[in-house]
Amino acid sequence: MDAITIRNLTKKYGDGTVALQNISFSIKKGEFFALLGPNGAGKTTTINILTGLANKTSGDVLLFDQDVVRNYQQARSLVGLVPQEFNLDQFDKVYNTLFFNAGYFGIPRSQRHSKIESLLRELGLWEKRYSKVRELSGGMKRKVMIARALIHEPKILILDEPTAGVDVETRKSLWTYFRRLNQKGTTILLTTHYIEEAEELCQRIAIVHKGNIIALDTKNNLLELLERETIKVVLSEPLSVLPPSLKKYGAAVQHNALLLTINPKQNNFSKLLDDLRKTKLSIRKIETERTTLEDVFLHLTKK
Amino acid sequence: MKLTGFFALTEREVSRFLRVWQQTIIPPMITSILFILIFGYSLGSKISAVAGVSYIGFIIPGLLMMGVIMSAYSNTSSSLYISKFQGQVQEYLVAPLSYWQIIFALTIAGVLRAILVGAGILAVSLLFTSITVHSYAMLLFFIVMVSLLFSFAGIATALWAGNFDQMNIFATFLITPLTYLGGVFYSISMLPSFWGTVVRFNPILYMVDGFRYGFIGITDVPLWHSVLLVLILTVFFFVLCVWMFKKGYKLRT
Ligand SMILES: Nc1ncnc2c1ncn2[C@@H]1O[C@H](COP(=O)(O)OP(=O)(O)OP(=O)(O)O)[C@@H](O)[C@H]1O
Ligand SMILES: [Mg+2]
Repeated sequence: MDAITIRNLTKKYGDGTVALQNISFSIKKGEFFALLGPNGAGKTTTINILTGLANKTSGDVLLFDQDVVRNYQQARSLVGLVPQEFNLDQFDKVYNTLFFNAGYFGIPRSQRHSKIESLLRELGLWEKRYSKVRELSGGMKRKVMIARALIHEPKILILDEPTAGVDVETRKSLWTYFRRLNQKGTTILLTTHYIEEAEELCQRIAIVHKGNIIALDTKNNLLELLERETIKVVLSEPLSVLPPSLKKYGAAVQHNALLLTINPKQNNFSKLLDDLRKTKLSIRKIETERTTLEDVFLHLTKK
Repeated sequence: MKLTGFFALTEREVSRFLRVWQQTIIPPMITSILFILIFGYSLGSKISAVAGVSYIGFIIPGLLMMGVIMSAYSNTSSSLYISKFQGQVQEYLVAPLSYWQIIFALTIAGVLRAILVGAGILAVSLLFTSITVHSYAMLLFFIVMVSLLFSFAGIATALWAGNFDQMNIFATFLITPLTYLGGVFYSISMLPSFWGTVVRFNPILYMVDGFRYGFIGITDVPLWHSVLLVLILTVFFFVLCVWMFKKGYKLRT
């Protein structure tokens, strides 16, 4: 049984915007899965349909075989959501927010305190438990939303840009935290714009573009497909003839520079250096450029 | 069925208005005292007894109903509207709460606030005059049903409203004027016959009249009209709320 099953899901908003066009995919139990895509791709729409914040237009969505519409109460109890936009009661205290949300998910009063304490301590917010939400920094509010999503120990954790507006150090510690949750068995669905975040955390990645899934594969396969390094070799003098030994690197000549591409996963960097040395070209400097997410999108959407 | 979630939401809603009791319970009591002083004492002494009841004794049931209506309506409408505005209503939507549970949790808080306000107004009224009760059953019926009715109406308004102006339309242009003109301060028999007919189209008149019956045992309109109307309106707004929640009207995109 898959943790999340999405079949032929289409979403058309009231104003006619088609946000999702017949997408299908499933996420296995225990997986750490990323939805990657540019602004407006349909990531939040997908998540909102999973969690009951948006109505689907057609298709089926199941969480551990529970239909999110027909068996909505069972389905909801399996999920914790960290939404993209802040949706906390600004005037309530951190502790109360978690106390009542624990209640909504059926946790008896007597068990709430210890759960709240351990979560807030893990996230470094225990000192702030009696602060009102609006007195917290943006990063702290995000952590309160993470604590809120985890208060009922959901089987599925859904993170919609969980590290937006969070400093580098906090981001790293949240990554560690999410990885540990995943190792303990929580299925995690993450959306992000940061390819590093997806790379760092996820086993499989789906790339969403204009309401379609344009690629879905394991991290390694996708990286093999997408991640290439461009190496710019600047020469002391312009080059007239391209040395044949460099053709296999997709070489292109640009004034007095050579542009070569390699796939770092194939570990052929030293081979390239050998080949370069054998050409006896006089090299002034070498620059490397990693493929960015934009390159990935361009590459995939051109197809 | 597990009710922990329902109780948690109810508790949050109740604590929300109890925490600020100075703003939610006290003001209607002060308003009632002012009305009793102005109309009951100064002007009321010039108005002869209505249906054999002193004028002050005549207006107190109406003032009570007025407080009940306003409190029930403003509790559910402001709570839900603010939750919608802050996005925190999403907490209820992603939780395994049924639509019924959400509606009833909000409603219980509205009814409770209305009853506390009603009791408060009754208490301050006792400082000015003695009060007799004709029918406890009718008092209970009207106070519970009317606070349910306006709690549901408040939920429906909050769901429908897209901004603060829309939120206030009903309170300002419908509920407040209809309440003031709803027979709190006069008996239909005191009006010229034309206006006596016009006010019969005001549903709040029936609520005030039926509730007053519970105290003084006398009505302007037949009691069963009031009972039936209150029942019909309560069911109507309840069904409206359930339908709106089920559809996710302006809650789910
Ligand atoms: N409530 C709404 N009404 C109408 N259109 C909407 C609504 N919400 C989203 N959309 C549209 O649906 C499309 C997908 O939006 P969505 O929020 O799912 O994107 P996203 O992938 O989460 O983007 P981002 O990375 O910016 O968060 C966009 O074209 C957006 O304008
Ligand atoms: Mg989004």
